[in-house]
Amino acid sequence: MNYPVWVVPLLGTGWVVGLIAITHVPLSHFAVGGGLFLPWAERKALREGRRDWMPMLKAHSKFFLILTGVFGVATGVGIWFAIGLASPEGTSTLIHNFVFGWAIEWTFFLVELTTAAVYYYTWDRVSDELHMKIGWLYAASSILTLVIINGILSFMLTPGAAWLSVAGTGNEASKFWYAFFNPTYWPSLGLRVLICGSLAGIWALVTASRIDGYEQPELKASVIRWSSRWLIPAFMLMPVFFAWYIHQVPVEQRGLLVMGISTIGQGVFTQVTRSALITVMSSATIAAVVYFLAYRNPRDFGLGHAVAVLAMAVAATGFTEQAREMLRKPYVIGQHMFSNGIRKTPDVERLNREGYLTNSVWVRPEEKELWAKLDAARVPGAVVPAADPGSQDAQARLTRGELMVRGQCFACHTLDGYRPLRRLLAGRDREAIGNTVKMLYQYEESSPYRKYMPPLVGTEAEVACVVDYLDSLVNVPGAKKGAALAAAPTPVSAPSAGGKTK
Amino acid sequence: MGKSTSLERNVKRAPGVYGWIDERLDLTAITEFACAKEVPEHKHSFWYYWGGISLFLFLTQLVSGVLLLLYFRPGADSYDSVRQITYDIDFGWLIRSAHSWSANLMVLAIFIHMFSVFFMKAYRKPREFGWWSGLVLAGLTLVFGFSGYLLPMDDLAFFATKVGLEIPRTIPVVGPFLVSLIQGGDSVSDVTIQRFFALHVVVLPLIFIGVLAFHLWLVQKHGNALPPDEELKPESERRSIPFFPNFFTKDLAMWLITLNVLAVLASLYPWQLGPQAEPASPAPDGIHPEWYFMSQFQVLKVFGKLMPGALGEAAGIIVFTVAGVMWTLIPLYDKDSARAVQARRATWFGLVVLGAFIALTIWGYADI
Amino acid sequence: MKKDSNKVKPEKADGPGGATMGRRGFVKAGIGAMSVCYVGAVAYPVYRYLAAPAKRAEETAKISQIALPMDKLPPAGTALTFMFGSRPALLIHLADGTKVCLDAVCTHLGCTVKFETDLQRIHCACHGGVYDARTGKNVSGPPPKPLKPYKVEFANGQINISRA
Repeated sequence: MNYPVWVVPLLGTGWVVGLIAITHVPLSHFAVGGGLFLPWAERKALREGRRDWMPMLKAHSKFFLILTGVFGVATGVGIWFAIGLASPEGTSTLIHNFVFGWAIEWTFFLVELTTAAVYYYTWDRVSDELHMKIGWLYAASSILTLVIINGILSFMLTPGAAWLSVAGTGNEASKFWYAFFNPTYWPSLGLRVLICGSLAGIWALVTASRIDGYEQPELKASVIRWSSRWLIPAFMLMPVFFAWYIHQVPVEQRGLLVMGISTIGQGVFTQVTRSALITVMSSATIAAVVYFLAYRNPRDFGLGHAVAVLAMAVAATGFTEQAREMLRKPYVIGQHMFSNGIRKTPDVERLNREGYLTNSVWVRPEEKELWAKLDAARVPGAVVPAADPGSQDAQARLTRGELMVRGQCFACHTLDGYRPLRRLLAGRDREAIGNTVKMLYQYEESSPYRKYMPPLVGTEAEVACVVDYLDSLVNVPGAKKGAALAAAPTPVSAPSAGGKTK
Repeated sequence: MGKSTSLERNVKRAPGVYGWIDERLDLTAITEFACAKEVPEHKHSFWYYWGGISLFLFLTQLVSGVLLLLYFRPGADSYDSVRQITYDIDFGWLIRSAHSWSANLMVLAIFIHMFSVFFMKAYRKPREFGWWSGLVLAGLTLVFGFSGYLLPMDDLAFFATKVGLEIPRTIPVVGPFLVSLIQGGDSVSDVTIQRFFALHVVVLPLIFIGVLAFHLWLVQKHGNALPPDEELKPESERRSIPFFPNFFTKDLAMWLITLNVLAVLASLYPWQLGPQAEPASPAPDGIHPEWYFMSQFQVLKVFGKLMPGALGEAAGIIVFTVAGVMWTLIPLYDKDSARAVQARRATWFGLVVLGAFIALTIWGYADI
Repeated sequence: MKKDSNKVKPEKADGPGGATMGRRGFVKAGIGAMSVCYVGAVAYPVYRYLAAPAKRAEETAKISQIALPMDKLPPAGTALTFMFGSRPALLIHLADGTKVCLDAVCTHLGCTVKFETDLQRIHCACHGGVYDARTGKNVSGPPPKPLKPYKVEFANGQINISRA
């Protein structure tokens, strides 16, 4: 519509964001948790006169600086580039609402980065008191970045009634604070702080596991035991915050949790079952390994086990984040904007009336004119394919169908890779494809797709083109490898050179 | 009389049920024995866990396999029964995914175990039989994988089995005969499922458990092997931890982690079931064997392209056979390692095999 | 080999004995709870897997016949979705007056199917399966099997539906 569509074959744009985010999330949470961990550990060491902790803390802060200051920062900026391309309409809405929020976050972020570097480079160079102060300043600024960004992240799931009431009026900014302190703000902040704390403990275990337990058994034991304790709050409070969080999510969206994924038997395969199983098992495994291996027998706690625990914690965090993203379906901004950037109101009604491609600023005016002329020449509502696949009309319909699919489906689907349209539609004839498309277009209350897919929008003529295009993907043998747009000059049904390799 | 005296010997036993059992079975002796065992501790110790992980995954296979057996019906019904397991029976999808994922992880763990044993030169005297029995177990695992893959009889299973059988078919002279014997006819059919089933759930487990017992007995007898660079250290600089409870706990932790990885994979990426196989229909695009057969498959494909016909096939088979024999007999001709010298040649050989395996597998996938 | 079997000395008990016991008890309870969670996470799916046929048999045995009041009969050319025990079922009144009752659970992946009045056929929204409304036969799309029919009888001003 207003922006060009970024097509990433096989992976899909979602996974480009996803892969960057998977790297970023454990690092950014470590940046916050570690920010608390370092000065706290230093304070403990100073109070108890444990100078032997200092070299280890210094090593840890170097590791910390490189990890968060390089990889954490690079992936964080990477997320911005990626979401701007993957979901420009959604990103634009966020910027329009939260430009002030981001300005604040940016300030804290700069302070955070600076103090992290200063903290590391001033080890043994300034007085202990001053060094401690730098540490606490770092801790405060890093927590404040979380406090701010959490408002924006939780807003995307639950914008809240106040904001939704002004959404689309141009006065959204008047409800800034309602949007910011939205219904899931506090439970989400609590959960994230707990995750930060436990990740800080686990990363510290990784550093501590490298201390030689035979040379310095007492040092290793004390560091490992103290670090292990950082996991306790998370294990005790996580369920409480999680229940609170789920409670705050709108009922319609919670429905997704108990719904089976349609590619596999319904009811038996719910998100709840999956996340419960994984969360329970992973937490128990982490707890068991940390307690029995690290806490009880610190001398032998090696890097292999530490990394395994870290990997599991990262996987658990990643899964939680993915579940949160799933929960938001079919919206990118809860109850307001669908994942493909179309607003629930007024876009759906308007685009159905005026047309989706008609409203796209990236379609040439002469193309729009041609399409309108072709549509007018046809019996209204006819869904039959043109008799001659090589005709101008048939070609135009395929092109329009492909543009529709790119604009409205490619936010989540790909042709052959992740959530592949071709495979999901395989085995359906033209009529069955037409049925599915019709169902998405009509978007009735009873439609099973309603829970996780946005409606298909456009005029009836445009929707008919989608059927043509999808049918050509699945049922026209020659079109297997090439896309209609890529092969525009030649008829799509021409046999492709590739053919079967086996 | 030796046994009974050890039972009667004067040891302090715990009260209660454990004590009661202990008095009769002398569990304390086992614990004492386990506590006395030492596992070396050094910078390569991490690789010691992979045998245990493979063993754990085998146990998971036994349990999940027996569970699947409760609903699986071999023969003409097999597709429908797998469909039932996947979609009708509560959590059937999970058990089935766990079985499939665990199979893949088991092959992976065994490969890692095999290569780590190779690079640590743990096949040296007196551990040659450990190496050979391990190779037998690895081979059996691959046959397990191959025979199990067909059982759901969806189109992927059907065509992958057909394609996979191309490998033995290229054996000169006896190849075609062997393949028709394996599949029970001139094509993959219900008869094939039936015999693969018998192989998969009776014949292979029996042999596997026997060889496994031998393998474990050898490990127990010889203890963990030291890599050459550790062996070069003076005795006083070497470190070790008791098998029980220290190493045992660490091993158990790895098992827990493995179980966890398995649970995540099985529930997040459940194994799908394709449409029922129709032998008459053309093979779907990009059909290929499982990843652990990909390198062999690719070798045959490449030789087939270079030298068309029987010549290429024979060349492919010769390459496999020579590499396999060299791999198996390494303890006999790697004399450098035997003297605890850093055996560069053996390491290079291992690196070439590993590199070729990975490269061919990737090439195979890129070439689909 | 140097034997270092003894662990690092156990953690110092800080505070008086009572506090230590409390903490030890807490750790023990924690370990117990974790073990229960773990065993539960493994045992629950296995139990459900084993118990599935029994559960199904129980559900089937529970209800073998239900009666609907006559006024529930949908007008000709339409259908009514109702619950036969715990399973949705379709009562179809075809345009020619024939009444058919079919199980409404798609034989493909278990979605609930719908009667389409305009095309007079049964359609499954999830993956586009189509069944014949008269017989329940799977006509197009992925369903592997036909829908199971129920017996429909009219007596005493009631519609009696029972397992065929």
